[in-house]
Amino acid sequence: MEIVPGLTISLSMIVSFMVKISMVLFLLLSLIMIRQGTLMNRVVNIPIGKSLKLLIWGYFLFSLLMTVIVLLA
Amino acid sequence: MPEVFNSGKANLESEEIKKLLGEKPSGSAFSSCVMRPHKVRFESQQDDETVLVLGRKHFVTNFGWIAMVCFAVVVPFVWGEFPFLQALDGNTLVSVTILWYLALLFFGLQSFLMWFYNVYIITNERLIDVDFVGLLSKTVNVAQINNVEDVNYTQKGILASFFNFGDVIVQTASEQRTPDTAGEGSAFTFGSISCPDKVVQVINQLTEEVDKTWK
Repeated sequence: MEIVPGLTISLSMIVSFMVKISMVLFLLLSLIMIRQGTLMNRVVNIPIGKSLKLLIWGYFLFSLLMTVIVLLA
Repeated sequence: MPEVFNSGKANLESEEIKKLLGEKPSGSAFSSCVMRPHKVRFESQQDDETVLVLGRKHFVTNFGWIAMVCFAVVVPFVWGEFPFLQALDGNTLVSVTILWYLALLFFGLQSFLMWFYNVYIITNERLIDVDFVGLLSKTVNVAQINNVEDVNYTQKGILASFFNFGDVIVQTASEQRTPDTAGEGSAFTFGSISCPDKVVQVINQLTEEVDKTWK
C-alpha cells in the first residue's frame, strides 16, 4: 500500500509498530507492578515478600531489555 | 493500673485456642491457612497484638489461570497455522512472540501476586480482610472481635467439598460502609479459604472469650 509517494506501508510495518507500542505499555505496567508489590508488602509484611519483590524487579529488567532489543531492531 | 482498665485487652490465649491452633507455627509462607505465622506483620498492627491465623484462597482456585498460561505457552509453536501471521516477515513474528511471552509472564505474575496478598488475618483482638483488586486499588476491612455477631460458612460444588474450602461470612455489629469490591455478602467475606470450619471455630472461640471478659 503506497499512501505517501515513495513509502510503502506493509502489514508487517503496522504490526511491528503496534508491537513496539504494546511493549512500552507493558514496561509501564511492570513499573506499576513494582510499586504495587512494595505497597502490598507494606500492608501485609510476609518474610518471603523480599524475594517476590526481587522477582518483580527481575521481570521489569527483563521486559526493559526485551523492549530495547525490539525497539532497536 | 487497676485491673478494670485492662479488661478489654485481656490475654485471649486460652486452652481452647491453643488446642485449635497448636503450640507451634504450622504451614509454609505459601500455605492457604497458616496457624501462628512466623514473622508476619501488617500495617496497623499494635505492639500487644498477636497474629493467630493468616489465610488466603485455597491453591486450587489458581488452577484456572495456571491452565490458561500452560495452554498459552504452546500457542506460538503453531503461529504458522494462522493466515494473518503467515503474512508477517520473520523479524515482526519474533517481536510478536516476545510480546506474547512478556504478556503471559505479566499475567502469571499478576495473578500470583493477587492470590498471595489477598489475605485475611485473625489476631487476638481483630479480624482483618485485605482485598487487592487489580494493580491500583485495595480495600482493608478491620473489625474488633467484640463486634462480631455471627459467623457462617458455605461450601458449594464438587471442588470445594473435595479440597475442603469455602466462604466464611462474618457479620459485624456495625454497618459496613466500605465499598464491596467483590460483590460479597458482607465486607468480611473470606472467599474460598481452606478449612473454613476451623476458621469459624477460632473466630467463635475468640468471640466467646471476649464476651466473657466484658461480662
